[in-house]
Amino acid sequence: MNTTVPQKRTNTTDHKNQWLDAHYDPVAGLYTFSSCVDLADLSGDGESRLVVGDLGSGLSGMKLKVFQGTALLSESTLLDLPTGLVAFFMDLHEPRIPAVAVASGPCIYVYKNLRPYFKFTLPGLEVNPVEQDVWQQVKEGQIDPLTMKEMLEGIRKKADVPLSVRSLRFLSLETDEMDEFVQLHKQQPIKRQTVITCVGTLKKSTADEDGVSCLVIGTESSNVYVLDPEAFIILSKMSLPAPPTMIDVTGQFDVEFRITVACRNGNIYILRRDSDKPKYSMELSSHPVGLVRVGKNVVVGCTDESLQGFTQKKLWRTTLPAPIITMAAMDLPTRGFQGVLVGLANCEVHLYRDKNLLSNIKTPDVVTSICFGRYGREDGTLIMTTKGGGLMVKILKRTAIFDDRDGTPGPPLAQSVRLNVPKKTKLYVDQTLRERENGVAMHRAFYMDLSRMRLAAAKAYVKALESSLTPMSSSLSEPLKMNAVVQGLGPTFKLTLNMQNTAACRPVMNLAISFLYDENLYRMRTPYLRIPLLVPGLIYPVETLVECTSDKGISDIIKVFVLHEGKGCPLLTAHINMPVSEGLMLN
Amino acid sequence: IRAPKAPELPIVERRNWLIHQHYIRKDYETCKVFIKEQLQETNGMCEYAIYVQALILRLEGKIQQSLELFQSCAILNPSSTDNLKQVARSLFLLGKHKAAVEFYHEAARLSEKDWEINHNLGVCCFFIKNFKHAEEHLNTALQINKHHKTFMMLGKVHLLTGDTDKAIDVYKRAVENFPENTELLTTLGLLYLQLGKYQKAFEHLGNALTYDPNNYKAILAAGSMMQTHGDFDVAMNKYRVAACAVPESPPLWNNIGMCFFGKKKYVAAISCLKRAHYLSPFDWKVLYNLGLVHLTMQQYASAFHFLSAAINLNSRMGELYMLLAVALTNLEDGENATRAYEQAVMLDESNPLVNLNFSIFLYNHGDKKAALDQYQEMERKVNLLQDSSSSAEFDPELMDMAQKMRAALQVADNVVWTKPGKDSKSKPNSAAATKTPGAPLGSNQALGQAMSSAVSYNKNIQLPTGTNFTFCRQECEWVKTHSRENVSVKLVQNAHSDLAWKSLP
Repeated sequence: MNTTVPQKRTNTTDHKNQWLDAHYDPVAGLYTFSSCVDLADLSGDGESRLVVGDLGSGLSGMKLKVFQGTALLSESTLLDLPTGLVAFFMDLHEPRIPAVAVASGPCIYVYKNLRPYFKFTLPGLEVNPVEQDVWQQVKEGQIDPLTMKEMLEGIRKKADVPLSVRSLRFLSLETDEMDEFVQLHKQQPIKRQTVITCVGTLKKSTADEDGVSCLVIGTESSNVYVLDPEAFIILSKMSLPAPPTMIDVTGQFDVEFRITVACRNGNIYILRRDSDKPKYSMELSSHPVGLVRVGKNVVVGCTDESLQGFTQKKLWRTTLPAPIITMAAMDLPTRGFQGVLVGLANCEVHLYRDKNLLSNIKTPDVVTSICFGRYGREDGTLIMTTKGGGLMVKILKRTAIFDDRDGTPGPPLAQSVRLNVPKKTKLYVDQTLRERENGVAMHRAFYMDLSRMRLAAAKAYVKALESSLTPMSSSLSEPLKMNAVVQGLGPTFKLTLNMQNTAACRPVMNLAISFLYDENLYRMRTPYLRIPLLVPGLIYPVETLVECTSDKGISDIIKVFVLHEGKGCPLLTAHINMPVSEGLMLN
Repeated sequence: IRAPKAPELPIVERRNWLIHQHYIRKDYETCKVFIKEQLQETNGMCEYAIYVQALILRLEGKIQQSLELFQSCAILNPSSTDNLKQVARSLFLLGKHKAAVEFYHEAARLSEKDWEINHNLGVCCFFIKNFKHAEEHLNTALQINKHHKTFMMLGKVHLLTGDTDKAIDVYKRAVENFPENTELLTTLGLLYLQLGKYQKAFEHLGNALTYDPNNYKAILAAGSMMQTHGDFDVAMNKYRVAACAVPESPPLWNNIGMCFFGKKKYVAAISCLKRAHYLSPFDWKVLYNLGLVHLTMQQYASAFHFLSAAINLNSRMGELYMLLAVALTNLEDGENATRAYEQAVMLDESNPLVNLNFSIFLYNHGDKKAALDQYQEMERKVNLLQDSSSSAEFDPELMDMAQKMRAALQVADNVVWTKPGKDSKSKPNSAAATKTPGAPLGSNQALGQAMSSAVSYNKNIQLPTGTNFTFCRQECEWVKTHSRENVSVKLVQNAHSDLAWKSLP
């Protein structure tokens, strides 16, 4: 595993120069988060093992797995979903072998030498006395389940202390199930339990590498507990405004410590030794996905694809190319290097020091958990699990150099791309020259043609008006408007003529419609229609059916005339372009 | 007889952390599986599972459904501000701003000093055009937490109420708090640009480009400023970046075209302007520039068409009519040229160029009296401009031409020169004229320096603009250039009319 290949530095962000591919098992079947992965020398032989809390399918099959080298060393079943896993020294016994604590539901399971050693359960939460009273009454038969339901509903709406699981379940039951439920549960004392959401470790009194550590536990009830490692009693209890999601601890419990907690309300809080309330808070604009401490700074990755650095106030912010999936610290004390590893949704893992990207590792799948540290006998090992369940191990090359380049990017690449300006042809240039020489003549010719066109248009317009060829009649006595709609595929079409009297108030009477068409092509049921009195403004649809008698797939124009009784000249005319008949003649 | 032992009931919140982990990783499919599982296990009593389900539905655009789920969350836990806030948010997204305001007020009763509530209240009030309340709420939000979104919104409110000074103050404070926020920097830069504070504008736009060299808006604004100062190569560098990011932007291609024009590459200029015209056929500014370039190319017939199209789109601009008159003059259509000039003089209020060109035109056509009137009108405008700002500058060629005209008219008619005030006017003109050769004057110079320093400090500075505004300035410059040419050309008479004019058949 210790291969050192002297290589020339070419591109520092090219991960081939920095990382060795030690192992990749795409079907390791691991489903886990960075918080459930740790590296520890579990047998005291100087070789580090990988301990993984595997969530199985997320519903069942949860396991604690231990890897050595490329092989699975052992696995044991977990009772519930692991939310966090830490290796820590819980006593001063020799040889110095760390225990493994797995947080799961309301309990911490401690394993020593990979054997179950101790189970610690969080103390129950305060139960609403009124609720207790109600259950007492129902137990003594003073009230019936329906009354109890009403009372519990009332408590739920008003009380500060939420109801227990039992009451909530009771409230969701149908009336006929209530009795049975009450009979079954009334003897048990009411409990209200919470769930662990994250776990961390805090050195008790010394900063030594193998010093005894306390467990720091964040719970769904928005509390943080510090546990004594030997007696498993609660040393300190602190409260937060929202349930914690990620936790980072530094310092020693007996001296001074600092707990940085990311919460579900999108804020980050800092807890100190002397107070049970957060000392500082940092409001983020989106949810934190990853929280890593580098020295005194906190680096937070957010859902808005940004990486932000904080002390107590914001120091910097940088934008990432894809959503963050997970984050982990990369701490290499032998080289004095500290960085942040960020797993992204675009199958890349980026290494940042402050806001500078130092390394970009491309992975075959989306990385869901990252752990960096000593594995086997190799100090700089990067362990990743992927969304598909794969396990990947990479080793930092000893020749790898991380350049602290200036964060400001150079000129964007696009600046050197030539502008795509369309070329002009020789013809264009010739025409330009021609225009220069003959501009005046061209303009006059244009103007002449324009005048002619206007004249032609005006003539056509006058002609149309004079012979009532338009579908609009602007005559003072019968101002009419008509439009025609043809519906159908053929051979029979429905012809709808919408007539409108556009006069202000005078109705129009004694109108008729007649059609002119090629009788070889079309047959019309009613080639002459009388129109009723037209009230001003309303649209009158006049319908008739046209049958196409030809099967040759040709169409023609049907002319519509609107006539006034007793007058030879039509009031208006419309030309209807009939569509080709698509239907076959049946006979 | 003992009752059978009661089974342990699973804790309602036991998978909340897992749902949250998948939600923030945007793995919504897995998230939904766990939510479903959790709701089955708890008979739908798990508030957080419903809450996240509603959030996901909202992200998927099913806002009404999400609203209903948030409402049921609020029933499960009426004391939670989060639920109320989300109900309000969904209402807001549905456009029911008044209802949203009510829910936010309700939420505000439960939790004081909440930035989110105050900010969103401000946004709601903004949408129902209650600017006074919007301002109050946004200011309260800023007191609780300085957030760039709130600054942005407050600035917008001030701009909409027409209070530019306050808006600038807000953006200034915002930039102090978020010195690397390119959106704020660009907005402030554009605002300064509109107010004519070019140096400050350039400073902010340059900063924006330092942090984000691909910021399209900033590139366009800064580029047009560089262009105005003749820095065409630098401007082109910036435009190349923008052309990669937004290859179909009409203002960008217009500006690139005018860069080529400034570098006297007329064919390329026409290519780019025609592309801009293709992308935005109803933008009169592009047509204006096309007309200008064609005039320069002595393609008067084409210029006429572009200019008359521009006039059809914007018939309130004197300069357009003036250019049209120039084209018509060259097309030997004196009658319509006169009408165009008359229209131009009528519409224009402050550009002495219009009157000067008309004066020359009239002089060339032998109407010295009318030419004199126009000349005097021009001097009046020059004086007005000089009175209104001491730093008013004029194109040296304009002044040169004006002096020639004065000489010409003086010869023709002595009376003119006896009028008072004339001499006092012409002196500043000539003084300015002697100063001008070569380097640009006053503030221009400072800006030029600012530009070059910015450029050296980060090799590529770019600038873009609230496009519209800059174009006008640019155009004016080109107009000047052009008008000279026009003057020197001998004018002949002939009659033709154009589309823009009601003309005789």
